[in-house]
Amino acid sequence: MIELKHITKEYSSQEGTTLALDDVSLTVRDGEIFGIIGLSGAGKSTLVRCINLLERPTHGQVFIDGEELTAIGRKRLLFLRRNIGMIFQSFNLLEQRTAEGNIRFPLEIAGVKRRAAEARARELLELVGLSEKAKSYPSQLSGGQKQRIAIARALATRPKYLLCDEATSALDPATTDSILQLLRRINRDLGVTIVVITHEMRVVERVCDRVAVLDNSRVAEEGEVSEVFSFPQSAIAKQLILPELIRSAEGIGGKKLRLVFRGETADRPIISKLAIECGVTVDILYADTKRIDGKAFGHMVISLPEGGEEKVRQFLEGQNVAFKEEV
Amino acid sequence: MSRLFVQLGAEGFLLGVLETLYMTVISTAVAYLIGLPVGVLLCITDKDGLRPMPWLNRVVGFLVNILRSIPFIILIVALIPVARAVVGTSIGNGAMIFMLTVAAAPYVARMVESSLKEVDRGVVEAARSMGAGTFAIICKVYLPEAKPSLIAGAVISTVTVLGYSAMAGTIAGGGLGAIAVTQARPSGAEDVIWLCVVLIVIIVQVIQELGAFLARKTDRRLRAGAKRASKAKKISK
Repeated sequence: MIELKHITKEYSSQEGTTLALDDVSLTVRDGEIFGIIGLSGAGKSTLVRCINLLERPTHGQVFIDGEELTAIGRKRLLFLRRNIGMIFQSFNLLEQRTAEGNIRFPLEIAGVKRRAAEARARELLELVGLSEKAKSYPSQLSGGQKQRIAIARALATRPKYLLCDEATSALDPATTDSILQLLRRINRDLGVTIVVITHEMRVVERVCDRVAVLDNSRVAEEGEVSEVFSFPQSAIAKQLILPELIRSAEGIGGKKLRLVFRGETADRPIISKLAIECGVTVDILYADTKRIDGKAFGHMVISLPEGGEEKVRQFLEGQNVAFKEEV
Repeated sequence: MSRLFVQLGAEGFLLGVLETLYMTVISTAVAYLIGLPVGVLLCITDKDGLRPMPWLNRVVGFLVNILRSIPFIILIVALIPVARAVVGTSIGNGAMIFMLTVAAAPYVARMVESSLKEVDRGVVEAARSMGAGTFAIICKVYLPEAKPSLIAGAVISTVTVLGYSAMAGTIAGGGLGAIAVTQARPSGAEDVIWLCVVLIVIIVQVIQELGAFLARKTDRRLRAGAKRASKAKKISK
C-alpha cells in the first residue's frame, strides 16, 4: 500500500516560491491500477516523483507498506527503490547499452550475479514479447518497443509497485493500446500495483481501477473510475471527462438528462423504446458510445419534452439506465 | 638544403617527432588523471546536478577558470620555480610534462564536465529510480553514456596539448617545437621549420582521424542510423 499524507511541495526560485503540490493525500491499494489525471502543470509528475522520493516533499509523509520513506536514511531508501519500478514518457533507456543490457542494469545495481541477471533479462524479454531484440540498441527500436524494454527493465528487480509517468504520451493510439494491455497483464498476472500518471482520459478509462483528478496542485476528486467517469463532480473532472458534452449542452434551453451507459444497458434500443412507451419525442443533443469487450459504454444527452419528464424518469429507472440532470 | 637539415637527418626529425608524441601523450594522460575526476565533480556538484554542492562547485570552478585564463606561454614562465620544486628541474621533458599537465588538466576538466552534462537527465533519473547511488550513476550512466563525446573531447585536448608542447619546447624541452624555434630559426634554416610544420600537421591529422574513428565505433546511437543510411543507398542503387 502506498500512502501519501498531506504532501506539499514548494519550489523556490528567484521569482518566489511556486506551490506544485498542496496538501495532497492519497492511498493506493495493493493490486490495483491507480490513475492520476490532470492538465499539464497540475502537479502530476511531481506527485509521482514524491512516491519514490525522486522529489522530496516539502511537508508531509510517504508510506510504502507502512514504512515511512520520508523518515529513513539514504541507504535504506536506495534499497527500497528497487521495490518501486518506474517508466517514463521518453523511455529513458541507456543509449549505449543493448536492450538486454538495459534490462540487466537495475540488476547490476542490486548486485545480482551476471549469470542470474542474464537469465532474468531473457525471461523479461519474453514477457514483453521482444526476445529477438535482445542485442538491439535503443536507436534501432521503435517507440513502442523502447517502452516495452523500459517496462522489462523496471520489472527486473521484481518490484511490487510500478510507477508510470505519462508512459504512453509519446506513442500513437495503436501502440498505446498494446502498452496498456501489457500493463494490465502485468497487474493481473504478476500482481504488480501500478500508478499511472496521464493526461489522456482514454488511458485511465482502459486500465485504471481508481482515479484521482488533480487540479491546481490539489486533489479535486477521487474514486472508482466507473463512478468518476460516469458522474464527475468537480468542475475540472467534468472539463476533462465530458468536454464535448459540456459544449454541446451549452446555450440550449429546457431540461436535459445525461444518460450513462456502463455496459449493462448495451444492445437495447433505449431511446426508441422510450419514445414508443412514453409517447414522447426526445432530442439527442450529444452521444458518445464506444464498445469495449462487446459492451457499450458512453454518454448521451437528451432534451426532455415539456410535461413528459416524470414519465421519462420512471421509464429510465425501470430500464436500469443511470442518468443525471444537467443544467 | 640547409646545413641544419643535413645535420639533423632522418634520425633527428624522428627523434623530434617521438619526443613531441611522448610529451603530448604522457601530459594528456596525466591531465586526464586529474581532469576527469575534477570534471565529474564539477558536473555532479552543479546546482542541477546529482549532488548539488554550490560552494564546492564554485570554488573548484573558480580555480579551473583561473588556470585556464592564463596564457600558456606566461604560465610556463610562472611555473619555472614550481617545476624546479616539484620535478627538481625547470628544463627537459620531465619539467615540460609537468607544465603541460598543469595547463591541460583544467581544460580537460571543463571538457569532461560539458560532455557529462550532455547526458540525458531522464536516463539519470531512471537510474535514480532504480536505487542507484551517486558512484554507480557516475560509473554506469554518466561515463558510458558520454563515452563518444568524451573521446571527441580527448581528441581536442590532445591536439591542444600538442600545440602547447611545441610552445613549451621553445623554453624547456625538446620535440619538434624546440627544433623549429631554438635550432632552426636562429640559423635561418627555413626548410627545417617547414618540415617541422608538416610533421606536426601529419601528427594532428592522425590523432584526429583515429579519435573520430574510435568515437564512431563506440557510439551506439549512430550505428543504427548508419546502417539505415547504407541500406537506403543500396536500395537507391
